[in-house]
Amino acid sequence: MNSYLDTTNQKPRDFLIVLLAIFASCTSTTVDEFRQGETGIESDESVVVLGRRQASDYETRSEFVECVGERMTRGTGAISIVPERQFIDSMFPWFEPRTAPLRTRDLELLMTEDVVARKMDEFGIRYIVWLDGVTETRDRAGSLSCAIAPGGGACFGGLTWEDDANFTAMVWDVGSLATVGTISADATGQSFMPALVVPIPLIARVEANACQRLADQLKQFVNGI
Amino acid sequence: MVIEENSGINRPVRTDKNMYFSMALLFVALALSGCGVSNVVIEGSFPTPNINKIPVAVAVYYDDALREFSYMEYSETGQEEFNIESGQSHMELFNAVLPAMFDRVIFVDSVEDARAEGVDAVFAPVIEEFQLALPTKTKLDVYEVWIKYNMRLLTLEGDYIADWILTSYGKTPTETFGSVVAGINEAAIVALRDLASSFSLSFGQVPEVRDWLSSLQS
Repeated sequence: MNSYLDTTNQKPRDFLIVLLAIFASCTSTTVDEFRQGETGIESDESVVVLGRRQASDYETRSEFVECVGERMTRGTGAISIVPERQFIDSMFPWFEPRTAPLRTRDLELLMTEDVVARKMDEFGIRYIVWLDGVTETRDRAGSLSCAIAPGGGACFGGLTWEDDANFTAMVWDVGSLATVGTISADATGQSFMPALVVPIPLIARVEANACQRLADQLKQFVNGI
Repeated sequence: MVIEENSGINRPVRTDKNMYFSMALLFVALALSGCGVSNVVIEGSFPTPNINKIPVAVAVYYDDALREFSYMEYSETGQEEFNIESGQSHMELFNAVLPAMFDRVIFVDSVEDARAEGVDAVFAPVIEEFQLALPTKTKLDVYEVWIKYNMRLLTLEGDYIADWILTSYGKTPTETFGSVVAGINEAAIVALRDLASSFSLSFGQVPEVRDWLSSLQS
């Protein structure tokens, strides 16, 4: 009797774990690197990762920028990263969405301002990494109905959608005032939310995967590996 | 309280008139809460600009229209939806930006008060227009704020030295569990920072201001 009860309790749990394992792996990430110059960084130099916010219909989320920067500070070949908010506030008003340099030629002009050059020196900035991109949700399908009553509530049905995170990182060398490379990461994944009384979200972590792969690649790139 | 016997399953079912009344009251309260206007007071902090100071002394005058500036956003059915109060945050922004732009800055309660302070000019900004775009209306995943200003630089006699229009824009992406109020506040703060950046960097390039600065130096 006991073993029967144990099996019935375990089966749904095992099934759920298998489902989670299958769906969690439903994310594919592609990283491309285009190198235009030699790179390398000294121990007293640092990198700032900034988000592009010039597009009219989207902007690079600061959480993604923070994720990439934070990940670059960890592990082998860790790099000193200046937090985006701290850098932008210290440089105010030169790196606001409307005033930030769009090309290295603009950066060259910007560096002629003594207040900007001095602040860059203080931070020890060797590279500026510009992140541009967005995560889009598409191909939504299915339906989910929920009902609530004084005795409780329940949901039935299922939803599915595809997330596509597409980000590009452009690396500027502050020393040579030139673009030294571009790295792009494209992660896609299918998410599901089946509901049988309780909805179970099985979310594809596309943005987290894009962040991880992009950060690892950027770290190697900056270190000149 | 009434206790009824359910003959089908032989289980007592309790119906309480007070409970129904409470539920009805809750329902009405929830329904009414969706009809009121939401008050949004713009709050944020502004960094000090990292720029070279212009060697002039300026008095700053905020009129009541700027101090108490608020904008009402209406729903598509014409009902009051959001009342956005940004007068205080505008003053905080100018208070952070102007001392970094000019050698000496004082704040006055009237243009007349500036005469006794021996300043070179009086700066009196005016908010001309405020616009808000909500994701529910634009179908974009961003909150947007536009603000149009009339920047006025006056002599101590109240005549215009320069009078120019400046627009600022701010947007912020929608968050999955973010509130509308937080989205509006963030977009307004981005717009205010945009104002500060374009104002501080373009001030010396306004033709009338440039001529006035040249006349002070000569």
